[in-house]
Amino acid sequence: MVGKPLKPWQSMLVMWLSVIIILAGYTFLSNRQHEINANDKTIPTWSQLKEGIQKIVEKNERSGERWLVEDAKASAERLFLGLFYGFFGALFLGLFMGCFPLLDSGLSWPLSILSKLPPTAALALFFVVLGVGTNMYVGVIVVGILPISTLTIRLATRDIPKELINKALTLGASKGEMVFSVIFRHILPKVIDTLRLQIGPALVFLIAAEYACAHVGFGYRLRLQARLVNMDVVYPYLVILILFGFTFDFLLVILQKLTCRWYVEERSGEHGKN
Amino acid sequence: MNMEKTKTEQNKTIFELQNLCHHFGEGKKRNNVLYKLNLKIQEGQFVSLVGPSGSGKSVLLRALVGTHPPRSGNVIVYSGKNNEIAVIKKKPDRDIGIVYQAYSLFPFLTAIENVAFGLKLDQTKMLGRLLLPIGWRRLRKQHMELAEEMLNKVGLSEAKDRYPSELSGGMRQRVAIAQALIMKPRIILLDEPFGALDEATRNDLQDLLLTLYQENLAEMKKGNRPAYTVLLVTHELYEALRVGDRVLGLSPHWDWKKEHERFPGAKIVYDEPAPIYSPDKPADFAAMQRQKNKIRKAVFDPIEE
Ligand SMILES: Nc1ncnc2c1ncn2[C@@H]1O[C@H](COP(=O)(O)OP(=O)(O)OP(=O)(O)O)[C@@H](O)[C@H]1O
Ligand SMILES: [Mg+2]
Repeated sequence: MVGKPLKPWQSMLVMWLSVIIILAGYTFLSNRQHEINANDKTIPTWSQLKEGIQKIVEKNERSGERWLVEDAKASAERLFLGLFYGFFGALFLGLFMGCFPLLDSGLSWPLSILSKLPPTAALALFFVVLGVGTNMYVGVIVVGILPISTLTIRLATRDIPKELINKALTLGASKGEMVFSVIFRHILPKVIDTLRLQIGPALVFLIAAEYACAHVGFGYRLRLQARLVNMDVVYPYLVILILFGFTFDFLLVILQKLTCRWYVEERSGEHGKN
Repeated sequence: MNMEKTKTEQNKTIFELQNLCHHFGEGKKRNNVLYKLNLKIQEGQFVSLVGPSGSGKSVLLRALVGTHPPRSGNVIVYSGKNNEIAVIKKKPDRDIGIVYQAYSLFPFLTAIENVAFGLKLDQTKMLGRLLLPIGWRRLRKQHMELAEEMLNKVGLSEAKDRYPSELSGGMRQRVAIAQALIMKPRIILLDEPFGALDEATRNDLQDLLLTLYQENLAEMKKGNRPAYTVLLVTHELYEALRVGDRVLGLSPHWDWKKEHERFPGAKIVYDEPAPIYSPDKPADFAAMQRQKNKIRKAVFDPIEE
Protein backbone atom coordinates (compact mmCIF):
# COMPACT_ATOMS: atom_id res chain seq x y z
CA MET A 1 0.00 0.00 0.00
CA VAL A 2 1.21 3.50 -0.72
CA GLY A 3 -0.83 5.37 1.88
CA LYS A 4 -0.47 5.05 5.62
CA PRO A 5 -2.70 2.40 7.19
CA LEU A 6 -5.62 3.87 9.17
CA LYS A 7 -6.47 3.18 12.79
CA PRO A 8 -9.69 1.16 13.15
CA TRP A 9 -11.72 4.10 14.48
CA GLN A 10 -10.48 6.23 11.60
CA SER A 11 -11.53 3.79 8.92
CA MET A 12 -14.89 3.34 10.70
CA LEU A 13 -15.38 7.09 10.66
CA VAL A 14 -14.47 7.39 6.99
CA MET A 15 -16.83 4.53 6.13
CA TRP A 16 -19.82 6.09 7.92
CA LEU A 17 -18.96 9.47 6.48
CA SER A 18 -19.06 8.10 2.95
CA VAL A 19 -22.40 6.38 3.65
CA ILE A 20 -23.87 9.65 4.91
CA ILE A 21 -22.52 11.57 1.93
CA ILE A 22 -24.02 9.12 -0.52
CA LEU A 23 -27.43 9.16 1.21
CA ALA A 24 -27.36 12.95 1.44
CA GLY A 25 -26.39 13.19 -2.23
CA TYR A 26 -29.27 10.95 -3.16
CA THR A 27 -31.72 12.99 -1.10
CA PHE A 28 -30.49 16.20 -2.70
CA LEU A 29 -30.76 14.81 -6.23
CA SER A 30 -34.24 13.42 -5.73
CA ASN A 31 -35.51 16.67 -4.14
CA ARG A 32 -34.17 18.71 -7.03
CA GLN A 33 -35.69 16.33 -9.55
CA HIS A 34 -39.05 16.67 -7.83
CA GLU A 35 -38.85 20.46 -7.90
CA ILE A 36 -38.55 20.19 -11.68
CA ASN A 37 -41.20 17.48 -12.05
CA ALA A 38 -43.37 16.63 -9.08
CA ASN A 39 -44.44 13.29 -10.61
CA ASP A 40 -40.94 12.01 -11.25
CA LYS A 41 -40.40 8.29 -10.61
CA THR A 42 -36.80 7.84 -11.76
CA ILE A 43 -35.28 9.18 -8.54
CA PRO A 44 -38.00 8.46 -6.01
CA THR A 45 -38.09 10.39 -2.74
CA TRP A 46 -37.82 8.54 0.52
CA SER A 47 -41.58 8.60 1.00
CA GLN A 48 -42.08 7.19 -2.49
CA LEU A 49 -39.57 4.48 -1.72
CA LYS A 50 -41.50 3.66 1.42
CA GLU A 51 -44.65 3.21 -0.65
CA GLY A 52 -42.71 1.03 -3.07
CA ILE A 53 -41.50 -1.18 -0.26
CA GLN A 54 -45.03 -1.46 1.02
CA LYS A 55 -46.12 -2.63 -2.42
CA ILE A 56 -43.42 -5.26 -2.29
CA VAL A 57 -44.15 -6.68 1.13
CA GLU A 58 -47.90 -6.28 1.43
CA LYS A 59 -50.40 -8.78 0.10
CA ASN A 60 -51.28 -7.98 -3.45
CA GLU A 61 -55.01 -7.46 -4.02
CA ARG A 62 -55.19 -9.32 -7.28
CA SER A 63 -53.04 -12.38 -6.60
CA GLY A 64 -53.41 -12.49 -2.82
CA GLU A 65 -49.64 -13.09 -2.56
CA ARG A 66 -46.82 -10.87 -1.40
CA TRP A 67 -44.52 -10.02 -4.30
CA LEU A 68 -41.38 -10.42 -2.33
CA VAL A 69 -42.41 -13.84 -1.04
CA GLU A 70 -43.50 -15.30 -4.34
CA ASP A 71 -40.55 -13.82 -6.24
CA ALA A 72 -38.02 -14.88 -3.63
CA LYS A 73 -39.45 -18.40 -3.50
CA ALA A 74 -39.32 -18.86 -7.24
CA SER A 75 -35.91 -17.26 -7.79
CA ALA A 76 -34.28 -18.89 -4.79
CA GLU A 77 -35.41 -22.34 -5.84
CA ARG A 78 -34.03 -21.83 -9.35
CA LEU A 79 -30.81 -20.30 -8.11
CA PHE A 80 -30.02 -22.87 -5.45
CA LEU A 81 -30.85 -25.83 -7.64
CA GLY A 82 -28.73 -24.35 -10.41
CA LEU A 83 -25.83 -23.64 -8.08
CA PHE A 84 -26.17 -27.05 -6.50
CA TYR A 85 -26.02 -29.02 -9.73
CA GLY A 86 -23.58 -26.69 -11.43
CA PHE A 87 -21.21 -26.52 -8.52
CA PHE A 88 -21.22 -30.11 -7.32
CA GLY A 89 -21.11 -31.32 -10.89
CA ALA A 90 -18.08 -29.12 -11.45
CA LEU A 91 -16.46 -30.31 -8.24
CA PHE A 92 -16.93 -33.93 -9.16
CA LEU A 93 -15.83 -33.50 -12.77
CA GLY A 94 -12.94 -31.17 -12.01
CA LEU A 95 -11.57 -33.35 -9.24
CA PHE A 96 -11.69 -36.53 -11.25
CA MET A 97 -10.49 -34.93 -14.47
CA GLY A 98 -7.53 -33.57 -12.54
CA CYS A 99 -6.83 -36.98 -11.05
CA PHE A 100 -7.44 -39.33 -13.96
CA PRO A 101 -6.06 -38.55 -17.43
CA LEU A 102 -8.58 -40.86 -19.09
CA LEU A 103 -11.52 -38.74 -17.91
CA ASP A 104 -9.55 -35.63 -18.71
CA SER A 105 -9.03 -36.38 -22.38
CA GLY A 106 -12.60 -37.61 -22.70
CA LEU A 107 -14.26 -34.61 -21.15
CA SER A 108 -12.09 -31.60 -21.75
CA TRP A 109 -13.17 -30.98 -25.34
CA PRO A 110 -16.95 -31.00 -24.74
CA LEU A 111 -16.42 -28.80 -21.71
CA SER A 112 -14.30 -26.30 -23.56
CA ILE A 113 -16.96 -26.08 -26.30
CA LEU A 114 -19.64 -25.67 -23.67
CA SER A 115 -17.65 -22.96 -21.94
CA LYS A 116 -17.71 -20.90 -25.14
CA LEU A 117 -21.52 -21.01 -25.33
CA PRO A 118 -23.25 -18.03 -23.73
CA PRO A 119 -26.30 -19.70 -22.21
CA THR A 120 -28.35 -16.53 -22.51
CA ALA A 121 -27.92 -16.72 -26.27
CA ALA A 122 -29.19 -20.27 -26.29
CA LEU A 123 -32.30 -19.61 -24.23
CA ALA A 124 -34.50 -20.93 -27.00
CA LEU A 125 -32.64 -24.20 -26.85
CA PHE A 126 -33.23 -24.57 -23.12
CA PHE A 127 -36.83 -23.62 -23.67
CA VAL A 128 -37.30 -26.44 -26.15
CA VAL A 129 -35.30 -29.06 -24.30
CA LEU A 130 -36.23 -28.33 -20.70
CA GLY A 131 -39.64 -26.71 -20.95
CA VAL A 132 -40.72 -23.57 -19.17
CA GLY A 133 -40.57 -24.77 -15.57
CA THR A 134 -37.85 -24.51 -12.96
CA ASN A 135 -35.70 -26.93 -14.97
CA MET A 136 -35.05 -24.39 -17.66
CA TYR A 137 -33.57 -21.83 -15.26
CA VAL A 138 -31.57 -24.51 -13.54
CA GLY A 139 -30.25 -25.60 -16.91
CA VAL A 140 -29.21 -22.07 -17.85
CA ILE A 141 -27.33 -21.63 -14.59
CA VAL A 142 -25.65 -25.04 -14.82
CA VAL A 143 -24.49 -24.46 -18.36
CA GLY A 144 -23.35 -21.00 -17.36
CA ILE A 145 -21.21 -21.94 -14.40
CA LEU A 146 -20.28 -25.59 -14.73
CA PRO A 147 -17.66 -25.50 -17.50
CA ILE A 148 -15.62 -22.66 -16.00
CA SER A 149 -15.85 -24.05 -12.47
CA THR A 150 -14.84 -27.48 -13.67
CA LEU A 151 -11.80 -26.11 -15.46
CA THR A 152 -10.84 -24.02 -12.42
CA ILE A 153 -11.06 -26.99 -10.08
CA ARG A 154 -9.19 -29.19 -12.53
CA LEU A 155 -6.40 -26.63 -12.66
CA ALA A 156 -6.26 -26.44 -8.89
CA THR A 157 -5.92 -30.21 -8.82
CA ARG A 158 -3.11 -30.08 -11.34
CA ASP A 159 -1.33 -27.37 -9.36
CA ILE A 160 -0.67 -29.60 -6.38
CA PRO A 161 3.10 -30.10 -6.18
CA LYS A 162 4.16 -33.50 -7.53
CA GLU A 163 6.29 -33.96 -4.44
CA LEU A 164 3.21 -34.05 -2.24
CA ILE A 165 1.61 -36.74 -4.36
CA ASN A 166 4.79 -38.81 -4.28
CA LYS A 167 5.10 -38.19 -0.59
CA ALA A 168 1.60 -39.53 -0.01
CA LEU A 169 2.45 -42.62 -2.06
CA THR A 170 5.52 -43.32 0.06
CA LEU A 171 3.25 -43.06 3.09
CA GLY A 172 1.03 -45.75 1.67
CA ALA A 173 -1.95 -43.80 0.35
CA SER A 174 -4.49 -45.75 -1.69
CA LYS A 175 -6.13 -44.24 -4.77
CA GLY A 176 -9.21 -43.25 -2.81
CA GLU A 177 -7.18 -41.72 -0.02
CA MET A 178 -5.14 -39.84 -2.57
CA VAL A 179 -8.27 -38.30 -4.08
CA PHE A 180 -10.15 -37.54 -0.88
CA SER A 181 -7.60 -37.25 1.92
CA VAL A 182 -4.88 -35.48 -0.05
CA ILE A 183 -6.08 -33.85 -3.25
CA PHE A 184 -9.55 -32.84 -2.15
CA ARG A 185 -8.29 -31.42 1.13
CA HIS A 186 -5.64 -29.52 -0.72
CA ILE A 187 -8.03 -27.89 -3.18
CA LEU A 188 -10.95 -27.36 -0.77
CA PRO A 189 -10.23 -23.66 -0.10
CA LYS A 190 -9.95 -23.02 -3.82
CA VAL A 191 -13.20 -24.90 -4.37
CA ILE A 192 -14.90 -22.56 -1.93
CA ASP A 193 -13.32 -19.58 -3.70
CA THR A 194 -14.67 -20.89 -6.98
CA LEU A 195 -18.18 -21.06 -5.56
CA ARG A 196 -17.82 -17.52 -4.22
CA LEU A 197 -16.83 -16.27 -7.65
CA GLN A 198 -19.65 -18.12 -9.40
CA ILE A 199 -22.54 -16.65 -7.39
CA GLY A 200 -22.37 -13.44 -9.41
CA PRO A 201 -22.51 -15.13 -12.82
CA ALA A 202 -25.21 -17.51 -11.62
CA LEU A 203 -27.34 -14.52 -10.64
CA VAL A 204 -26.70 -12.87 -14.00
CA PHE A 205 -27.84 -15.97 -15.87
CA LEU A 206 -30.89 -16.40 -13.67
CA ILE A 207 -32.06 -12.79 -13.92
CA ALA A 208 -31.49 -12.75 -17.66
CA ALA A 209 -33.50 -15.92 -18.16
CA GLU A 210 -36.26 -14.63 -15.90
CA TYR A 211 -36.25 -11.33 -17.74
CA ALA A 212 -36.97 -13.19 -20.94
CA CYS A 213 -39.29 -16.00 -19.95
CA ALA A 214 -40.58 -15.92 -16.37
CA HIS A 215 -43.97 -15.06 -14.92
CA VAL A 216 -42.68 -14.82 -11.39
CA GLY A 217 -39.29 -14.16 -9.87
CA PHE A 218 -36.85 -11.31 -9.41
CA GLY A 219 -36.00 -10.93 -13.08
CA TYR A 220 -39.65 -10.93 -14.06
CA ARG A 221 -40.58 -8.29 -11.46
CA LEU A 222 -37.65 -6.10 -12.37
CA ARG A 223 -38.53 -6.16 -16.03
CA LEU A 224 -42.19 -5.39 -15.39
CA GLN A 225 -41.57 -2.56 -12.95
CA ALA A 226 -38.73 -1.09 -14.95
CA ARG A 227 -40.97 -0.87 -17.95
CA LEU A 228 -43.48 1.10 -15.88
CA VAL A 229 -40.56 3.17 -14.55
CA ASN A 230 -41.55 2.17 -11.03
CA MET A 231 -38.11 2.80 -9.63
CA ASP A 232 -39.60 2.82 -6.14
CA VAL A 233 -39.97 -0.92 -6.58
CA VAL A 234 -36.86 -1.51 -8.70
CA TYR A 235 -34.37 0.03 -6.27
CA PRO A 236 -35.44 -2.00 -3.24
CA TYR A 237 -35.27 -5.14 -5.37
CA LEU A 238 -31.74 -4.29 -6.41
CA VAL A 239 -30.80 -3.64 -2.79
CA ILE A 240 -32.19 -7.05 -1.85
CA LEU A 241 -30.08 -8.69 -4.56
CA ILE A 242 -26.97 -6.94 -3.30
CA LEU A 243 -27.70 -7.92 0.28
CA PHE A 244 -28.25 -11.49 -0.78
CA GLY A 245 -24.91 -11.54 -2.58
CA PHE A 246 -23.13 -10.16 0.45
CA THR A 247 -24.74 -12.63 2.84
CA PHE A 248 -23.96 -15.63 0.70
CA ASP A 249 -20.38 -14.52 0.21
CA PHE A 250 -20.00 -13.86 3.92
CA LEU A 251 -21.29 -17.32 4.78
CA LEU A 252 -18.81 -18.89 2.38
CA VAL A 253 -15.95 -16.92 3.89
CA ILE A 254 -16.97 -18.24 7.31
CA LEU A 255 -17.15 -21.75 5.92
CA GLN A 256 -13.67 -21.36 4.49
CA LYS A 257 -12.35 -20.13 7.82
CA LEU A 258 -13.90 -23.08 9.61
CA THR A 259 -12.79 -25.78 7.21
CA CYS A 260 -9.47 -24.43 5.93
CA ARG A 261 -7.82 -22.48 8.69
CA TRP A 262 -4.43 -23.38 7.22
CA TYR A 263 -5.25 -21.60 3.98
CA VAL A 264 -6.48 -18.46 5.65
CA GLU A 265 -3.35 -18.36 7.81
CA GLU A 266 -1.12 -18.99 4.83
CA ARG A 267 -2.67 -16.07 3.05
CA SER A 268 -2.66 -13.65 5.93
CA GLY A 269 0.83 -14.37 7.27
CA GLU A 270 3.76 -13.21 5.20
CA HIS A 271 6.11 -15.22 7.40
CA GLY A 272 6.98 -18.79 6.56
CA LYS A 273 7.25 -18.27 2.82
CA ASN A 274 10.53 -19.52 1.48
CA MET B 1 21.31 -62.12 -6.74
CA ASN B 2 23.08 -63.32 -3.62
CA MET B 3 22.36 -66.93 -4.54
CA GLU B 4 25.59 -68.01 -2.96
CA LYS B 5 24.55 -66.75 0.46
CA THR B 6 23.29 -69.30 2.93
CA LYS B 7 19.93 -68.65 4.50
CA THR B 8 21.10 -68.01 8.01
CA GLU B 9 23.78 -65.57 7.05
CA GLN B 10 22.79 -61.96 7.52
CA ASN B 11 22.72 -60.07 4.27
CA LYS B 12 24.03 -56.63 5.08
CA THR B 13 22.89 -55.10 1.81
CA ILE B 14 19.60 -53.32 2.17
CA PHE B 15 19.44 -51.56 -1.15
CA GLU B 16 20.97 -52.29 -4.51
CA LEU B 17 21.13 -50.81 -8.01
CA GLN B 18 21.85 -53.13 -10.89
CA ASN B 19 22.87 -51.61 -14.20
CA LEU B 20 20.43 -48.78 -13.72
CA CYS B 21 20.07 -46.58 -16.81
CA HIS B 22 17.82 -43.62 -17.42
CA HIS B 23 17.22 -41.22 -20.28
CA PHE B 24 14.58 -38.78 -21.41
CA GLY B 25 13.21 -38.43 -24.93
CA GLU B 26 13.98 -40.56 -27.96
CA GLY B 27 15.84 -40.20 -31.23
CA LYS B 28 17.56 -36.89 -31.77
CA LYS B 29 16.06 -35.41 -28.64
CA ARG B 30 17.31 -38.26 -26.49
CA ASN B 31 18.94 -36.99 -23.33
CA ASN B 32 20.98 -39.66 -21.58
CA VAL B 33 21.13 -39.07 -17.86
CA LEU B 34 22.25 -42.18 -15.97
CA TYR B 35 24.42 -44.98 -17.36
CA LYS B 36 24.71 -48.46 -15.83
CA LEU B 37 24.83 -47.53 -12.19
CA ASN B 38 25.76 -50.36 -9.84
CA LEU B 39 25.62 -49.78 -6.14
CA LYS B 40 25.04 -51.61 -2.88
CA ILE B 41 24.07 -49.77 0.26
CA GLN B 42 24.52 -51.56 3.58
CA GLU B 43 22.04 -51.46 6.38
CA GLY B 44 22.86 -48.59 8.72
CA GLN B 45 25.00 -46.67 6.26
CA PHE B 46 24.65 -42.93 5.87
CA VAL B 47 25.58 -42.34 2.26
CA SER B 48 26.07 -38.87 0.81
CA LEU B 49 25.61 -38.35 -2.89
CA VAL B 50 27.26 -35.38 -4.55
CA GLY B 51 27.57 -34.34 -8.16
CA PRO B 52 27.45 -31.36 -10.49
CA SER B 53 24.11 -29.70 -11.06
CA GLY B 54 22.20 -31.58 -13.74
CA SER B 55 24.20 -34.78 -13.30
CA GLY B 56 21.00 -36.67 -12.50
CA LYS B 57 20.91 -36.90 -8.71
CA SER B 58 17.22 -36.06 -8.51
CA VAL B 59 16.46 -38.37 -11.42
CA LEU B 60 18.24 -41.16 -9.57
CA LEU B 61 16.28 -40.48 -6.42
CA ARG B 62 13.01 -40.55 -8.30
CA ALA B 63 13.97 -43.91 -9.74
CA LEU B 64 14.78 -45.16 -6.26
CA VAL B 65 11.49 -43.94 -4.81
CA GLY B 66 9.68 -45.68 -7.62
CA THR B 67 7.71 -42.74 -8.97
CA HIS B 68 9.83 -42.80 -12.14
CA PRO B 69 11.19 -46.33 -12.58
CA PRO B 70 14.46 -46.61 -14.51
CA ARG B 71 14.45 -47.28 -18.26
CA SER B 72 16.53 -50.37 -17.67
CA GLY B 73 18.20 -52.06 -14.76
CA ASN B 74 16.77 -52.72 -11.35
CA VAL B 75 16.35 -51.16 -7.97
CA ILE B 76 16.21 -53.88 -5.32
CA VAL B 77 15.09 -53.46 -1.75
CA TYR B 78 15.91 -56.18 0.76
CA SER B 79 13.73 -56.91 3.74
CA GLY B 80 13.00 -59.70 6.18
CA LYS B 81 14.78 -60.93 9.25
CA ASN B 82 18.11 -61.40 7.52
CA ASN B 83 17.43 -59.10 4.58
CA GLU B 84 16.87 -62.28 2.61
CA ILE B 85 13.78 -61.10 0.73
CA ALA B 86 14.65 -59.21 -2.42
CA VAL B 87 11.96 -57.11 -4.06
CA ILE B 88 12.37 -55.19 -7.29
CA LYS B 89 11.12 -51.68 -6.76
CA LYS B 90 8.35 -50.84 -9.22
CA LYS B 91 6.25 -48.25 -7.49
CA PRO B 92 6.46 -45.98 -4.47
CA ASP B 93 5.49 -47.43 -1.12
CA ARG B 94 6.45 -47.24 2.51
CA ASP B 95 9.74 -49.14 2.04
CA ILE B 96 11.39 -45.93 1.00
CA GLY B 97 10.87 -42.63 2.75
CA ILE B 98 11.67 -39.33 1.14
CA VAL B 99 12.32 -35.79 2.28
CA TYR B 100 12.33 -33.06 -0.35
CA GLN B 101 13.74 -29.58 -0.13
CA ALA B 102 10.19 -28.23 -0.19
CA TYR B 103 6.66 -29.62 -0.32
CA SER B 104 7.27 -32.61 1.90
CA LEU B 105 4.55 -31.49 4.26
CA PHE B 106 0.83 -31.37 3.65
CA PRO B 107 -0.14 -27.74 4.15
CA PHE B 108 -3.60 -28.61 5.43
CA LEU B 109 -2.30 -30.68 8.34
CA THR B 110 -0.60 -29.41 11.49
CA ALA B 111 2.94 -30.53 12.30
CA ILE B 112 1.80 -33.42 14.46
CA GLU B 113 -0.94 -34.43 12.03
CA ASN B 114 1.62 -34.47 9.24
CA VAL B 115 3.74 -36.91 11.21
CA ALA B 116 0.76 -39.10 12.11
CA PHE B 117 -0.61 -39.00 8.54
CA GLY B 118 1.55 -41.87 7.31
CA LEU B 119 0.38 -44.16 10.11
CA LYS B 120 -3.19 -43.31 9.23
CA LEU B 121 -2.73 -44.02 5.54
CA ASP B 122 -0.72 -47.15 6.17
CA GLN B 123 -2.66 -48.80 8.98
CA THR B 124 -6.23 -47.90 8.21
CA LYS B 125 -8.56 -47.80 5.25
CA MET B 126 -10.95 -45.01 4.38
CA LEU B 127 -13.98 -47.27 4.70
CA GLY B 128 -12.78 -48.62 8.04
CA ARG B 129 -12.40 -45.14 9.44
CA LEU B 130 -15.96 -44.30 8.38
CA LEU B 131 -17.58 -47.52 9.55
CA LEU B 132 -15.73 -47.96 12.83
CA PRO B 133 -15.31 -44.43 14.12
CA ILE B 134 -14.79 -45.47 17.74
CA GLY B 135 -12.01 -47.91 16.94
CA TRP B 136 -10.45 -45.35 14.65
CA ARG B 137 -10.53 -42.69 17.34
CA ARG B 138 -8.71 -44.99 19.74
CA LEU B 139 -6.09 -45.84 17.15
CA ARG B 140 -5.81 -42.19 16.26
CA LYS B 141 -4.88 -41.41 19.83
CA GLN B 142 -2.04 -43.91 19.66
CA HIS B 143 -0.90 -42.42 16.37
CA MET B 144 -0.82 -38.95 17.86
CA GLU B 145 1.21 -40.19 20.81
CA LEU B 146 3.72 -41.85 18.51
CA ALA B 147 3.87 -38.72 16.38
CA GLU B 148 4.50 -36.60 19.44
CA GLU B 149 7.34 -38.90 20.49
CA MET B 150 8.81 -38.64 17.04
CA LEU B 151 8.57 -34.85 17.05
CA ASN B 152 10.35 -34.73 20.40
CA LYS B 153 13.06 -36.92 18.91
CA VAL B 154 13.71 -34.50 16.06
CA GLY B 155 13.76 -31.61 18.51
CA LEU B 156 10.40 -30.05 17.87
CA SER B 157 8.59 -30.21 21.18
CA GLU B 158 6.75 -26.93 20.76
CA ALA B 159 4.78 -25.75 17.77
CA LYS B 160 3.25 -29.20 17.26
CA ASP B 161 -0.12 -27.74 16.42
CA ARG B 162 1.06 -25.19 13.92
CA TYR B 163 0.50 -25.49 10.21
CA PRO B 164 3.57 -25.77 7.95
CA SER B 165 3.10 -22.18 6.78
CA GLU B 166 3.49 -21.08 10.38
CA LEU B 167 6.79 -22.93 10.87
CA SER B 168 10.29 -21.78 10.01
CA GLY B 169 12.15 -23.55 7.21
CA GLY B 170 14.27 -25.51 9.67
CA MET B 171 11.27 -26.58 11.74
CA ARG B 172 9.54 -27.74 8.60
CA GLN B 173 12.45 -29.98 7.66
CA ARG B 174 12.48 -31.43 11.17
CA VAL B 175 8.80 -32.29 10.79
CA ALA B 176 9.49 -33.77 7.35
CA ILE B 177 12.22 -35.98 8.78
CA ALA B 178 9.91 -37.11 11.59
CA GLN B 179 7.22 -37.79 9.01
CA ALA B 180 9.58 -40.09 7.12
CA LEU B 181 11.09 -41.75 10.22
CA ILE B 182 7.76 -42.74 11.76
CA MET B 183 7.11 -45.12 8.88
CA LYS B 184 10.32 -47.04 9.66
CA PRO B 185 11.25 -47.28 5.99
CA ARG B 186 14.14 -49.48 4.84
CA ILE B 187 15.94 -46.37 3.63
CA ILE B 188 15.33 -42.65 3.81
CA LEU B 189 16.23 -40.53 0.81
CA LEU B 190 16.83 -36.83 1.26
CA ASP B 191 17.07 -34.60 -1.81
CA GLU B 192 18.98 -31.46 -0.81
CA PRO B 193 16.87 -31.26 2.32
CA PHE B 194 18.72 -28.34 3.85
CA GLY B 195 19.42 -26.46 0.64
CA ALA B 196 17.17 -23.54 1.48
CA LEU B 197 18.34 -23.10 5.07
CA ASP B 198 20.87 -20.75 6.60
CA GLU B 199 24.23 -21.94 7.87
CA ALA B 200 23.33 -22.31 11.55
CA THR B 201 20.02 -24.09 10.92
CA ARG B 202 21.75 -26.38 8.46
CA ASN B 203 24.26 -27.29 11.09
CA ASP B 204 21.54 -28.08 13.62
CA LEU B 205 19.80 -30.35 11.17
CA GLN B 206 23.04 -32.11 10.29
CA ASP B 207 23.40 -32.68 14.02
CA LEU B 208 19.98 -34.28 14.01
CA LEU B 209 21.10 -36.77 11.36
CA LEU B 210 24.34 -37.39 13.24
CA THR B 211 22.34 -38.23 16.37
CA LEU B 212 20.47 -40.85 14.38
CA TYR B 213 23.81 -42.23 13.22
CA GLN B 214 25.00 -42.42 16.81
CA GLU B 215 21.86 -44.39 17.67
CA ASN B 216 22.81 -46.81 14.90
CA LEU B 217 26.27 -47.25 16.36
CA ALA B 218 24.86 -47.83 19.83
CA GLU B 219 22.47 -50.49 18.52
CA MET B 220 25.22 -52.26 16.63
CA LYS B 221 27.40 -52.28 19.72
CA LYS B 222 24.61 -54.17 21.47
CA GLY B 223 24.54 -56.62 18.59
CA ASN B 224 21.26 -55.28 17.18
CA ARG B 225 20.50 -54.16 13.67
CA PRO B 226 20.83 -50.46 13.04
CA ALA B 227 17.51 -48.69 12.57
CA TYR B 228 18.31 -45.99 10.04
CA THR B 229 19.78 -46.12 6.57
CA VAL B 230 20.11 -42.80 4.77
CA LEU B 231 20.96 -41.55 1.30
CA LEU B 232 21.56 -37.81 1.37
CA VAL B 233 21.83 -35.76 -1.80
CA THR B 234 23.63 -32.49 -1.19
CA HIS B 235 25.64 -29.98 -3.13
CA GLU B 236 27.74 -29.07 -0.11
CA LEU B 237 30.84 -31.21 0.18
CA TYR B 238 31.25 -30.22 3.81
CA GLU B 239 27.78 -31.51 4.58
CA ALA B 240 28.39 -34.68 2.57
CA LEU B 241 31.56 -35.45 4.53
CA ARG B 242 30.18 -34.49 7.91
CA VAL B 243 26.90 -36.41 7.74
CA GLY B 244 27.85 -39.38 5.57
CA ASP B 245 30.05 -42.31 6.48
CA ARG B 246 30.44 -42.90 2.76
CA VAL B 247 30.48 -40.44 -0.11
CA LEU B 248 29.35 -41.15 -3.65
CA GLY B 249 30.09 -38.89 -6.58
CA LEU B 250 27.76 -39.01 -9.57
CA SER B 251 29.33 -37.32 -12.55
CA PRO B 252 29.10 -36.92 -16.31
CA HIS B 253 32.89 -36.50 -16.40
CA TRP B 254 34.29 -39.96 -17.12
CA ASP B 255 36.11 -41.38 -20.12
CA TRP B 256 33.06 -42.50 -22.06
CA LYS B 257 34.56 -41.42 -25.39
CA LYS B 258 36.58 -44.63 -25.64
CA GLU B 259 33.53 -46.80 -26.14
CA HIS B 260 30.66 -44.45 -26.97
CA GLU B 261 29.82 -42.06 -29.77
CA ARG B 262 27.45 -40.05 -27.65
CA PHE B 263 27.41 -39.28 -23.98
CA PRO B 264 25.74 -42.34 -22.41
CA GLY B 265 24.93 -40.80 -19.02
CA ALA B 266 26.50 -40.04 -15.67
CA LYS B 267 28.27 -42.69 -13.64
CA ILE B 268 29.34 -43.09 -10.07
CA VAL B 269 32.96 -41.99 -10.29
CA TYR B 270 33.75 -41.67 -6.61
CA ASP B 271 32.89 -44.04 -3.78
CA GLU B 272 34.93 -43.68 -0.61
CA PRO B 273 34.35 -43.85 3.12
CA ALA B 274 34.06 -40.58 5.00
CA PRO B 275 35.13 -39.83 8.56
CA ILE B 276 32.51 -40.36 11.24
CA TYR B 277 31.41 -37.43 13.31
CA SER B 278 29.14 -37.03 16.27
CA PRO B 279 27.25 -33.78 16.87
CA ASP B 280 29.77 -32.58 19.46
CA LYS B 281 32.91 -33.71 17.66
CA PRO B 282 34.48 -30.79 15.81
CA ALA B 283 35.30 -31.41 12.17
CA ASP B 284 38.93 -32.06 11.24
CA PHE B 285 39.13 -29.31 8.68
CA ALA B 286 42.53 -30.22 7.27
CA ALA B 287 41.60 -33.82 6.53
CA MET B 288 38.26 -32.68 5.23
CA GLN B 289 39.89 -30.19 2.90
CA ARG B 290 42.09 -32.93 1.45
CA GLN B 291 39.11 -35.18 0.75
CA LYS B 292 37.12 -32.26 -0.63
CA ASN B 293 39.87 -31.55 -3.11
CA LYS B 294 39.93 -35.17 -4.21
CA ILE B 295 36.16 -35.21 -4.68
CA ARG B 296 36.26 -31.96 -6.61
CA LYS B 297 38.87 -33.34 -8.94
CA ALA B 298 37.13 -36.66 -9.43
CA VAL B 299 33.53 -35.52 -9.65
CA PHE B 300 33.28 -31.87 -10.59
CA ASP B 301 36.24 -31.15 -12.86
CA PRO B 302 35.98 -32.11 -16.52
CA ILE B 303 38.63 -34.71 -17.41
CA GLU B 304 41.49 -33.52 -19.54
CA GLU B 305 41.95 -35.11 -22.93
N1 LIG C 1 11.08 -34.70 -16.33
C1 LIG C 1 12.17 -34.54 -17.10
N2 LIG C 1 12.08 -34.55 -18.45
C2 LIG C 1 13.16 -34.41 -19.22
N3 LIG C 1 14.40 -34.27 -18.75
C3 LIG C 1 14.57 -34.25 -17.42
C4 LIG C 1 13.47 -34.39 -16.53
N4 LIG C 1 13.92 -34.34 -15.26
C5 LIG C 1 15.26 -34.19 -15.36
N5 LIG C 1 15.65 -34.14 -16.65
C6 LIG C 1 17.03 -34.01 -17.11
O1 LIG C 1 17.83 -34.88 -16.36
C7 LIG C 1 19.07 -34.30 -16.08
C8 LIG C 1 19.39 -34.41 -14.62
O2 LIG C 1 18.49 -33.65 -13.84
P1 LIG C 1 18.46 -33.72 -12.26
O3 LIG C 1 17.33 -32.88 -11.84
O4 LIG C 1 18.47 -35.12 -11.81
O5 LIG C 1 19.83 -33.03 -11.86
P2 LIG C 1 20.43 -32.88 -10.41
O6 LIG C 1 21.68 -33.65 -10.37
O7 LIG C 1 19.42 -33.19 -9.39
O8 LIG C 1 20.79 -31.34 -10.39
P3 LIG C 1 20.63 -30.29 -9.19
O9 LIG C 1 21.89 -30.44 -8.37
O10 LIG C 1 20.62 -28.98 -9.90
O11 LIG C 1 19.39 -30.59 -8.44
C9 LIG C 1 19.03 -32.89 -16.61
O12 LIG C 1 19.73 -32.86 -17.83
C10 LIG C 1 17.58 -32.62 -16.85
O13 LIG C 1 17.42 -31.82 -17.98
MG1 LIG D 1 18.26 -32.08 -7.95
